[in-house]
Amino acid sequence: MSHFLVLPIILPALTGALLLFFGGRLAITRVISFMSCLVLLAISVHLLSEANLGAIQTYALGNWSAPFGIVLVLDRLSGMLVLLTSVVAVAALYYSMQGWDARGKYFHALFQFQLMGINGAFLTGDLFNLFVFFEVLLIASYCLLMYGFGEQRLKASVHYVAINLTGSAIFLIAVSLLYSVTGTLNMAHIAERVATSSPDDIALIRSAGLMLLGVFGVKAALFPLYFWLPTAYASASAPVAALFAIMTKVGVYAIFRFTTLVFGGAIGASVDLTSPWLLPVALITLLLAALGAMAAKRLLELIAYLTIASVGTILIAFAAGGTEGLSAALFYMIHSTLIVAGLFLLAEMISQARGDAQDTLHAGPTILQPVMLGIAFMAGAVIVGGLPLSSGFLAKLMILQSTAESANMPWVWGMVLGTSLITMIALSRAGSMLFWKTSYEVSASAKAPVTTQWLPVIFLFGCSLLMVIYAAPLKQFTNATAEQLKNPEQYIFSVVGQTLDRAPRALPKEAK
Amino acid sequence: MTLLTIILLPLLAGTTLALLAARYSRSASAWAVAGVTLCSLTLLLGFSDAVFSGQKIVSSTPWMPELGIDFAFRLDGLGYLFALLILCVGLLIILYAKYYLSEKDSMGKFYALLMMFMAAMLGIVLTENILLTFVFWELTSVSSFLLIGFWNHKAESRRGARMALIVTGGGGLAMLAGFLLLGHVAGSYELTKIFQARDVVQASPLFFPILILILLGAFTKSAQFPFHFWLPQAMAAPTPVSAYLHSATMVKAGVFILARLYPVLGGTYDFEIIVSVVGLTTMAFAAYVAIFKHDLKGLLAYSTISHLGLIVFLIGLSSPLSAAAAVFHIINHATFKASLFMVAGIIDHECGTRDMRRLRGLFKFMPYTATLAMVAAASMAGVPLFNGFLSKEMFFVESLSLSHLGWFGDVAPFVVTFGGVCSVAYSARFVHNVFFNGTATDLPRTPHEPPRFMKIPVELLVVLCILVGVLPALTVAPLVFLAATDVFGGTIPQYTIAIWHGFNLPLLMSAVALFGGLIFFWLLQKRFNLHLHAPKELNGHRIFVHLVESLRAFARWLTALLQNGSLQRYLALLVASVIALGAWPFIEFGYNTGDAPVTGFNPVAIMVWVIAVVAALASVVMHRQRLTAVILVGVVGLTTALTFAYFSAPDLALTQLSVEVVSTALLLMALALLPQVGPKESSNGRRVRDIALAVLAGAGVTALMWAVLTRPHESIAWYYLAESMPKGGGTNVVNVILVDFRGFDTFGEIIVLGIAAIGALSLMDGLKMDRKLSTSFLNPVLLSVAARILLPFALLVSVYIFLRGHNLPGGGFIAGLVTSVALVMQYMAGGLVATSEKLRMNFPKIIGSGVLVAGFTGLGSFVFGSAFLTSAFGHPIIPFIGEVPLASAASFDLGVFLTVVGATMLTISALSGASRREPKLIGAAQ
Amino acid sequence: MEFLLASALGIVTACGVYLILRGRTFSVVLGLSLLGYAVNLFIFAMGRLTSGHPPVIVDQATSYADPLPQALVLTAIVIGFGMTGFIVELALRTRNDTKSDHVDGQEPEQSSGSISASQDGKAT
Repeated sequence: MSHFLVLPIILPALTGALLLFFGGRLAITRVISFMSCLVLLAISVHLLSEANLGAIQTYALGNWSAPFGIVLVLDRLSGMLVLLTSVVAVAALYYSMQGWDARGKYFHALFQFQLMGINGAFLTGDLFNLFVFFEVLLIASYCLLMYGFGEQRLKASVHYVAINLTGSAIFLIAVSLLYSVTGTLNMAHIAERVATSSPDDIALIRSAGLMLLGVFGVKAALFPLYFWLPTAYASASAPVAALFAIMTKVGVYAIFRFTTLVFGGAIGASVDLTSPWLLPVALITLLLAALGAMAAKRLLELIAYLTIASVGTILIAFAAGGTEGLSAALFYMIHSTLIVAGLFLLAEMISQARGDAQDTLHAGPTILQPVMLGIAFMAGAVIVGGLPLSSGFLAKLMILQSTAESANMPWVWGMVLGTSLITMIALSRAGSMLFWKTSYEVSASAKAPVTTQWLPVIFLFGCSLLMVIYAAPLKQFTNATAEQLKNPEQYIFSVVGQTLDRAPRALPKEAK
Repeated sequence: MTLLTIILLPLLAGTTLALLAARYSRSASAWAVAGVTLCSLTLLLGFSDAVFSGQKIVSSTPWMPELGIDFAFRLDGLGYLFALLILCVGLLIILYAKYYLSEKDSMGKFYALLMMFMAAMLGIVLTENILLTFVFWELTSVSSFLLIGFWNHKAESRRGARMALIVTGGGGLAMLAGFLLLGHVAGSYELTKIFQARDVVQASPLFFPILILILLGAFTKSAQFPFHFWLPQAMAAPTPVSAYLHSATMVKAGVFILARLYPVLGGTYDFEIIVSVVGLTTMAFAAYVAIFKHDLKGLLAYSTISHLGLIVFLIGLSSPLSAAAAVFHIINHATFKASLFMVAGIIDHECGTRDMRRLRGLFKFMPYTATLAMVAAASMAGVPLFNGFLSKEMFFVESLSLSHLGWFGDVAPFVVTFGGVCSVAYSARFVHNVFFNGTATDLPRTPHEPPRFMKIPVELLVVLCILVGVLPALTVAPLVFLAATDVFGGTIPQYTIAIWHGFNLPLLMSAVALFGGLIFFWLLQKRFNLHLHAPKELNGHRIFVHLVESLRAFARWLTALLQNGSLQRYLALLVASVIALGAWPFIEFGYNTGDAPVTGFNPVAIMVWVIAVVAALASVVMHRQRLTAVILVGVVGLTTALTFAYFSAPDLALTQLSVEVVSTALLLMALALLPQVGPKESSNGRRVRDIALAVLAGAGVTALMWAVLTRPHESIAWYYLAESMPKGGGTNVVNVILVDFRGFDTFGEIIVLGIAAIGALSLMDGLKMDRKLSTSFLNPVLLSVAARILLPFALLVSVYIFLRGHNLPGGGFIAGLVTSVALVMQYMAGGLVATSEKLRMNFPKIIGSGVLVAGFTGLGSFVFGSAFLTSAFGHPIIPFIGEVPLASAASFDLGVFLTVVGATMLTISALSGASRREPKLIGAAQ
Repeated sequence: MEFLLASALGIVTACGVYLILRGRTFSVVLGLSLLGYAVNLFIFAMGRLTSGHPPVIVDQATSYADPLPQALVLTAIVIGFGMTGFIVELALRTRNDTKSDHVDGQEPEQSSGSISASQDGKAT
């Protein structure tokens, strides 16, 4: 079997562990960390190309075949997200070398462990293992979030940690509940068991499923569970925030994977778990996020809200658009992750270049590098606002088209377009505050962004441009991905199909 | 493809050249863009013959067929006319702007943006694919946003820019929805196919929504009532921009869309009534308002709105001649209005003001410019012999044949005439107030004729006004006819544009308008001095600003309301949502228990139950007496361990116990740095809420458990029981699962532990806090002695536990924890404090090595070509310990052991390091 | 037995939930620990209750407890332990930097809170 499948998890893990030995020695940690990140990128490219062949690959850890052992599963979706992660990671890591990573001993180690957690979550086929990787990425994110300290960060961290620890508790309850009924932990096997579960267990199963979705909702930042996010993301250091752009997507991924795999059926316990409540929730999320963006007093806050808005949009498409919608949602997912990550980085550069005024959205001093930063912000705003001709526009177009047939079309279109307008208002105001409504002198504390900062931003925006140029093939890919998700039989078969004797049994009990 | 080139030239070459050339000189930049524009123009003219021979050139290159977006372009009469307009006026503007912009304005930026806009505009008029049209449509909004905001230090520029963007951009979004629906119904986004599907579209139930949405886009862009207000605000832009975007071209984009889609949308009653009514209202209303504007550009802006209304009205009507009239007026308006704006710019430039209350008698200073302006104004007023008159005459004619529109048809002629009167009035005011009306007294500067070249564009346009006005047939008639046919679709009856149609009603209307207007103006001017007239307070843009502001206020309020930054609320929401989610299925499908036998109570269990419950409740009641609470919680932990032990889970019992010790120690050390007594602050309301949530959650858990425990159990665990010995090489199934079957979980988990410790370290790094509480009561001599004696013993025990782990309860975790416990006791006894500093440095490395050991053990299996973490084992017998699994699993377990010890010790030592300082009064507590 | 366990867990859970909804980091920590116990026992119980038959293979044994939940609980315990350690020290650091041990990093407006907070010092 090809060991590539496990590398996206092992490589960062061992790199991270190794980095613990070079606590303070920045130069060498940088080299190791970044090299490993590049290798990771290469591996992910390879994996995606493998996945795109259509066959679903599995990797049985310890040679214990599913459902008894833990297996990693590579399909188009996981391949796509692993690649997306490493793309964002490379950019964020490179950016951090401008100085963020020097502010604490173990930045790079933590960063690597974070990557391990995210990739693990995307690749694992085992529900409890998913929990473990959630914990890995969470604990790493706790450390990264408060990285650099300051009151604001610590407050945000307390909220973030407390909420997610509670979430983890719920996760455990839901997972074990599913185990108690289905007698297994492997997601494919669970799907199989749920489909054939006895009528008496329907309520238990769906209750567990819904609680899981609740937990994923916290990660994905859905209404009413996203309130912690804006402060947290807005107070994180730029590279961390950029990396966090992918974190909400972990939640979204979990929702996609879990609902399509386990609750994609037509009868019994396996009928769709997301209707009818997901669409309204997603619509509300989008609306509130857009309003939040309008209300934001700082640029970072604004971008944090746009992150939430993107989640809302994605789930709207998922809930209302069928397979077409899912494909559109995936396209949008790639787009929004890239652009939001880029914007988080850009926002900090702007904040630096303004000096004391930082990223507050009111009249301030003249900004350094006004032309470059201005153009960059304009580009970013156009892309994230979904104005033509950007990846955002195409993605939005796909979503609108995919929902044209839906009965909820008026709601979806109204909300998507309406919030686009609100976002436009918010962004234009922000832009005019940051770049136009300025006094004539430059703040003393202003620092002009350096190349180390520019490159990753250009890189990420460039990716979004590539999405426009190669929109057609990319859309075909997301179509294929959506198809694969909507037809889980192949997944289930390739994961547990080979193990013929896999049915749960009653354990031997001597008569009492 | 050449069509695309026409657009790409300004878009790429234009913008870049503008910026590059600007580095050399300002005029270089001007010449560059002028050159580019000329190229596009020549390319366009290359198509003339084809177009005039009635061909429609359509070229299409697929791009995203799936989305229906292709690079499809179309050149027909209508597009040709507009493209010609855009390019020619563009040229003049470029020339004009070169002299208009001052030294401190960035020429390159201006021309670059102008080129971008020009490209976008060309895109709109030359696309075959309506989605592509939208792309360019929004591009015009963006570029106009940037051009209006060109002087961004001016507040009104910024406001105007954003208003224009929001109104037109918003309309654009509506239009996009319309386009998508249209394409959906018509089955294609290509105009040709859409036109063919006319009947399908008009029959579709979606037709009305489509119409409304598209009209929203068109009306906002063409500043139709009630969306007109952004246009006057946009006058904050440099005058060349106003002349180009906001009179000649961009505002005509809306009109263009109406004309473009007339073949599919037009001809229906809905279309005719809505469009013509809106158009006529706008026309009359704006004309009236224009009279009272004191700002030259303000007056021209409203006049523009009024003329746009006129054109919209004409397009609305379903008669071929009205289409011709509309097209014709588009040309005429572009000529005279652009020239007037340029004159306004010149005056502003020369006098430093545009306020008609200060301007007067400029004829003396700039007679030549004045004459030009008067000609243009006459054309605007519709005086015979000028082009404005001709189209306005046709407009009057059309307004007389609306009997089929009911009451509207009856009032239309009067409204039209009223509009005519007003437009004459404001034209008169323009001329009279600016050029005559005595002599100027308080001008910032003394004006004189502008530079030669600045006048050329004006001259050209004015000459055009006259030429067209006198010899329509020889100049624009063929083009108008061509475009009109494209608008109306199919063939339109022959007609002649002529100055003289004989004595008829339209002529009378013109006369009324002309003389009525003059009298009207004279009355206003003499009887009630116009200059004293103050513009009304309540007007469109104020309402709009108010709307946007209140939306923002609302957003602020709502966000603050929802996100009050209170963790307690967020957690409550989380708990509540999860309870709701978890309960829902039971409401849906009902709650049922299984039929598995349940075991009876026994006294011990009941006692444990009581202890647990009492301790838990007490810890809640006394949670503010923190020390007590910690101990109570510890008690609950112990009962947990007991429960594990009772229900045949020795490993768990051991682990729970050792974890209990360590974490209690941790909590106590932490408590030493925190207030001992928590404040009593929760309001009763909140308490009730929380108790309710807590009870629900608790009940839920009980219900779930009860439902499960009464059900028979089937699981895949039989496999582990069966294979643990033969394949896992261990009898302690739990441990084999941990290090082998599900070793990957363990791998992740030790990393979690490690990261947590690292995080703790960085949290405590360099932190020094005063103790609120002396922990001295924790280290009596006995304890420290005990600890010292215990340490080696404990270590021995843990080695033993570690080694037997694979077969009997024990293993890496427990061993690690036991070791830690021993070391922790040292801390408690203050034994290792001195060395802790040194140790802290090393713990991260211990963690690291632990993870590496575990990781490389896993990688080892790669060598044998099997998967990560595949184990191999043998069973040597070691004296006194018995059979020892010398399995790769064991070395994996070693990694676990190391990580656990490192992490635990790091956490503890970090904390103790932070809390080394004793308080001033020792033993203040207790 | 089953009922005893179920009811006890319900009560412990309730206590935990109530505590995490309190306003001071320390209470939240205690609440999370209680919740942790409850959850661990919950997972454990999902393998049903068996007494006297630990999942250690012995030849004559005919009956075993379900080992899988036990393994999961072990993992959960250890992770929970790590998390407790972390959040405790996070609470300390926050308390140190923000001069408040309120979960929102600042003393609430209503006087009762601030007064009693100021009493902390004397209380010790």
